Amino acid sequence: MSVDLEKILRPIENPIPPFPAKHVTLASGEDMVIRQVTRDEIPDILVYVAPLLHVERDYYDVVAARLYGELLAYYRYRVQDEYVLVAQIDGEVAAVVNGRLLSPEVGMSYHTVALRRGLRIGAHSFAAKMEYHIDIMKQKEVLVVAESPIGFRRWMIEYKLEKRFDIPHELGGVPSWALTRELFDRARETLVVGRRPVPDKLLEKAKAGLLPPSDPPTPPEDLLAATRSRYDSTGTALMAQQWKQEGKV
Amino acid sequence: MEIYAYRCKKCGELHYPYRMVCKKCGENEHNEFDPVPLPKKGKLLTHTFVYNLPGDYNVAKLGLGIVELENGLRMTGQIRIPEPKAGMEVRGEVEEVRREAYDRYFGMVFYEA
Amino acid sequence: MRDVYAIGIGITSFTRLEYPLVEIACYPAMMAMKDCGVRAIDHVYVANMGGGRINHQTGLASAVVDSLSLTPAGAAGIENGPASGASAIREGFQAVASGMCDVVLVTGAERMREVNNLDATDFVATLSHPLAEYVYGVTLPSLAGLFTKLYMQKYGVTARHLAMVAVKNQNNALRNEFAHLHQKITVEGILDSPEAMTNNPFVAEPLRFFDCCPVSDGGACVILASKEVAKKTGKPMVRLAGVGQATDTHAVHERKEPTDLLAVRGAAKKCFQMAGFGPKDVNVAELHDAFTILEIVESEEAGFFPKGEGHLALERGETSLEGRLPINPSGGLKGRGHPVGATGIAQAYEIVLQLRGEAGERQVKEAKKGFTCNFGGFGNNVVCLAFERED
Repeated sequence: MSVDLEKILRPIENPIPPFPAKHVTLASGEDMVIRQVTRDEIPDILVYVAPLLHVERDYYDVVAARLYGELLAYYRYRVQDEYVLVAQIDGEVAAVVNGRLLSPEVGMSYHTVALRRGLRIGAHSFAAKMEYHIDIMKQKEVLVVAESPIGFRRWMIEYKLEKRFDIPHELGGVPSWALTRELFDRARETLVVGRRPVPDKLLEKAKAGLLPPSDPPTPPEDLLAATRSRYDSTGTALMAQQWKQEGKV
Repeated sequence: MEIYAYRCKKCGELHYPYRMVCKKCGENEHNEFDPVPLPKKGKLLTHTFVYNLPGDYNVAKLGLGIVELENGLRMTGQIRIPEPKAGMEVRGEVEEVRREAYDRYFGMVFYEA
Repeated sequence: MRDVYAIGIGITSFTRLEYPLVEIACYPAMMAMKDCGVRAIDHVYVANMGGGRINHQTGLASAVVDSLSLTPAGAAGIENGPASGASAIREGFQAVASGMCDVVLVTGAERMREVNNLDATDFVATLSHPLAEYVYGVTLPSLAGLFTKLYMQKYGVTARHLAMVAVKNQNNALRNEFAHLHQKITVEGILDSPEAMTNNPFVAEPLRFFDCCPVSDGGACVILASKEVAKKTGKPMVRLAGVGQATDTHAVHERKEPTDLLAVRGAAKKCFQMAGFGPKDVNVAELHDAFTILEIVESEEAGFFPKGEGHLALERGETSLEGRLPINPSGGLKGRGHPVGATGIAQAYEIVLQLRGEAGERQVKEAKKGFTCNFGGFGNNVVCLAFERED
């Protein structure tokens, strides 16, 4: 009986081609491997996403909250046609990207979270995601939105995305932007880089385990400092005041 | 439309952009200059393509260049030349170069001659 | 003119600071006062460029002097673009050298990350000529790009030289706990590898992402005093020996020779003249490398290397931490960060630290004479300082 209920609640398993892992050399000289993860690796990633829930700057909190839900839904079979890719440097998780297929032709990009900053890791990971949709899954276009201004600059402006404002995006229902195959081809040379196949040793290290990020974004040390500013660009002030009132600080 | 250089009424030195006191004779004052339209032909000295633009630009990249005009004066302008090279002959047109909220700004845009 | 000594120094971390601008200016001042043990300040100078425009705070000096409880001492704000810091030090120097004050506190601060990146770019772009440059969408990196292209054509500087400066400075910053960037980079990662174009995209051709300094918040402070006061502190006697300033045309295209930075040349000359020593005697220098090309060019214009040969000295390793003349041991603007108003003072902080022998892992051996160059606008207002250790 419960098996039948579970069958109804689960999404239909559509076959999706797997993402062939690739590796890039970062500005620091380190090698980063971008690969797809399976459902059983998701709990490890959740542990690294959770601490970001209270980092207000650059909208990490909104992204982490939504990403947590998406990853959990993927893990527990409650979302249709989702995939998750991770970028690892020496086994350490550096970025998590995910998305899903809206239809065989149209993809819906979810999130891109960089757990290590300053090396264009987010940019590489987003590009890998787009490559997955257009080159490997052979889709016609991908719907994208940005939650943070950095995302807007890197994707809408750099890739020159087309407006698809009549289609509400699954992330918050806001108007979508689209990356079409044509735009992707134009950006291919400069934005989609990386080498395949990944050398065995690198891939083994990456597959061996998802190690904790060494320098992830953290909330500011002095939560109340922002309350002394007239204009708080991080949004920390309101949260800090509330926590102080509730005795959490 | 023209972009103007300023000629000192006392000694004839040309200035672009405007300054209040002549840089050669130091004699004259504000308004003792004659506006002289800048020539629209020149040679491209150097150029760049800028990718990190301020908020009011909607383009991904912007071409800028320093041009040495026919009369010896130099000016900075936008360039709409796909493959610029130093020393290339260029010709200018005065067009809209920037828009800030509801304000429009005009300046020289250079094309290949 | 009396001798002027740098008796106390202080600095904040250069990073994204979520404190109000006034606190960013006061914190290093507190550190500097603790450093020298002097709390009787005659006059306060505050260097800042964007307070009014992006932080909604004008009259910063008045706010700072009260926040530090130094009232009724006099206070003045100095705004000179990115050269605000060294300009403020120059004003402080004049006050003490003339005999008008015995102790002055010179602090600088900037909180550029209060606004988003696009607004910060626009804010710095307002330095350019309003009609001949700004309306065209000229930003500081674009002026540097135009300049770099000419320099590459004329003297043979290549993208590799620029990458070498970036790597040198960012790796020096690894030894500086207050630096903005604590990220090792390699020339392979930013130039050679197949992914270099994504790792290091163009910002304003031919300058790339790693050729430009980061946008930072931060503050720094130096306390200047007369010889009597300096002797009483018991700190090493570091004298501010020379100060030089020179200007050039506002519009970059009007420069006499587009590849010359005459303002640097003039300021350095005046500075060395006052100090009584020359470029050959300098042991350590902090140059304004907002763009990597500028470190190379300033090292030539200041007189350390012949014109057009700065990149050759870089190749030979003369300007690395182990070289003959370490340039930017703190990481420079590239590694340490560039809060515009505070930079000039942060450079002085580093030189004083080096001359005192307190620079720890990045200490330049036997540093006795130091030099800084603070570059305002795009080379139209430059202030150079020279320091000497006297004991």
